[in-house]
Amino acid sequence: MSTTSPWSLVALRELQVRLTDRNFLLGTGATIVVIIGIFAVQGFLMGGGAPSFTVAVTGEDGATVVAEAREALQETDEEAVLEAVQVADAAAAETALTDESADAALLPVADGWEFVTDGEADSQLQGVVSEAVRSTTLQANAEAVGTSVEDLTAGTVVQNRDISGGDDESRFVVWVAGFAMAMLFYMSAIMFGMAIASSVVEEKQSRIVEILAAAIPVRALLTGKVLGNTVLAFGQMAVMGAVALVGLTFTEYDQYLSTLTQGFLWYIPFFILGFLALACVWAAAGAMASRTEDLQATTMPLTMGLVLVFIVGLSLEGTARVIGSFVPVLSTILMPMRLLDGTAAWWEAALALVLTAVFCLVTIGAGTRLYRRSLLQTSGRVSLKAAWAGGE
Amino acid sequence: MLGAHGLTRQYAEVRAVDDVTFEVPAGKMIGFVGGNGAGKTTTMRMLMGVLAPTAGDVSWDGRPVTRADRTRFGYMPEERGLYPKQGVLDQLTYLGRLHGMSQHDAQGRARSLLERFGLGERLKEKVEKLSLGNQQRAQIIAAVLGDPLALILDEPFSGLDPAAVDQMADLLREHTANGVPVLFSSHQLDLVDRLCDGIVVLHKGRVVASGTSEELRGSAPLRYVLSLTADAGWVRGVPGVRVLDLDGATVQLEPETEEVAQRLLTEAVSRGGVREFSRVRPSLSEIYREVAAA
Repeated sequence: MSTTSPWSLVALRELQVRLTDRNFLLGTGATIVVIIGIFAVQGFLMGGGAPSFTVAVTGEDGATVVAEAREALQETDEEAVLEAVQVADAAAAETALTDESADAALLPVADGWEFVTDGEADSQLQGVVSEAVRSTTLQANAEAVGTSVEDLTAGTVVQNRDISGGDDESRFVVWVAGFAMAMLFYMSAIMFGMAIASSVVEEKQSRIVEILAAAIPVRALLTGKVLGNTVLAFGQMAVMGAVALVGLTFTEYDQYLSTLTQGFLWYIPFFILGFLALACVWAAAGAMASRTEDLQATTMPLTMGLVLVFIVGLSLEGTARVIGSFVPVLSTILMPMRLLDGTAAWWEAALALVLTAVFCLVTIGAGTRLYRRSLLQTSGRVSLKAAWAGGE
Repeated sequence: MLGAHGLTRQYAEVRAVDDVTFEVPAGKMIGFVGGNGAGKTTTMRMLMGVLAPTAGDVSWDGRPVTRADRTRFGYMPEERGLYPKQGVLDQLTYLGRLHGMSQHDAQGRARSLLERFGLGERLKEKVEKLSLGNQQRAQIIAAVLGDPLALILDEPFSGLDPAAVDQMADLLREHTANGVPVLFSSHQLDLVDRLCDGIVVLHKGRVVASGTSEELRGSAPLRYVLSLTADAGWVRGVPGVRVLDLDGATVQLEPETEEVAQRLLTEAVSRGGVREFSRVRPSLSEIYREVAAA
């Protein structure tokens, strides 16, 4: 005789049934492929790798300027390449441009320098080269009159300060990440919630439930089902999140990796508690149906509620958004978003988690009661009132 | 020994089971008989703990039954079924594990029982692909799988062909031989008569009769059938004898006592030839009809 607890047997069966279900595997696989696809397209369109330029010069002065420009360029992107090639004269430089062995040429002329290109100049290249010309010339001129560049430029620095907190790009990235997490929660909650409900009604409809209820406590049956599906939902979410974070490193947004990873790690407990808060209610909705056909009616309040949470979560602003980020389940969408855009402190997240946990206890209690009382009513749909009041 | 003590179940306005008390002794097979809606299923559900009684309790070996005891009871509910889309061996193994068996034991026992019932070739078959009779066999296996301490079977024979009924009866007898108490309900009274050591008759939620078939018969009125070589009309005039039916030379009668019957026989012999004089033993269905009508 083994002492494996009944709920773990039930949970294992849930896992086994889902993980051998072709539709489930195909659906998860397809979603992951789509995520990979999005990042692949992003990486291809936006990045195309680091910039690489070759500039033709005719003397040592030109090479010095290009070396200075390379330093400036590598400050913004350390993988960027900027090379100088020595050519004999201006004619040779133009030849190098036309046969595309150089992207631009930097040639000394009477009153300074000439930046020659074949077609429109790359603005980034032109920017760093012009800046390098300016600073090297400025330095030489300053030394000639016996002063230094630092003295000449003292007090000319303008610093940017954006009171919106972050630039457009980072706001965009944070919004996309928040939206993706909200979407993921919404989809998982509906998909695995429905899985719990239909697994319950399958047992009722096939009538095996009475054998199960006679063999093990009804509570163990419910616990196993809820935990099995929570593990599945969490596993799927974790895989998708990990794929997305790895995908991020292949795009030019990889500088946001640490911010997003941190946000994602906060998202995990919100996801789990938010899911658990509804799981027992899903089970109760399943128990109140007696055939698969009834499920749509008994689960309607849950699906509508989740749609509402999703829409409201994405549309709230200002104070309402702050308040909403503490409301259980809604907080699973809003709090990770606020954490990502930096408007919430860690203690706010912790408080929201505690509130969700308390809410969880309430829904688990209520869900269990409804589940126990309607599980063995195999004829027709059980109304909420009857299920709540009914005997066991 | 499994005991029901004053089990009562009240639904909103209906008392489905009313103060039901009986015992299923170790190693005995008890038939649970009664019409539709008599409360058999409700009683069995309360015995299994699937349904909470409004009043009364269930005992096992003289003490209140526990959850652990019930985990080891074999149960075949009235509304039966298995997971339609799971292989039959897999799900019997799962059910065995829920009854506390190890993976190895559960699988081994499920396999040998499936082989015994002629399903050895279809271990991996999904339940929904099996014929109804084979599904019923799988269902029976599910009930006896976990080396049960007691068996509570609601209509185990319905839907089985005669050969399967015999197989099933043998299986149940093996369990009673090992001291397992078996309670089963059935509408097939002849079958109950043939298999059972005792009977509990339920009518409108109450126990109206219980005991061995002999005991039940013993309480039935004394009846004889007398068949003569000549007309039996004279029997009407014999004091202490009530004639139930007279058809020429054959008469069915209810004597007041055994002595009256013997005196009647002596007179019949003196009046001429007696072809038959025999006690009428009521069938279980007749007894059942009588107690149910009372």
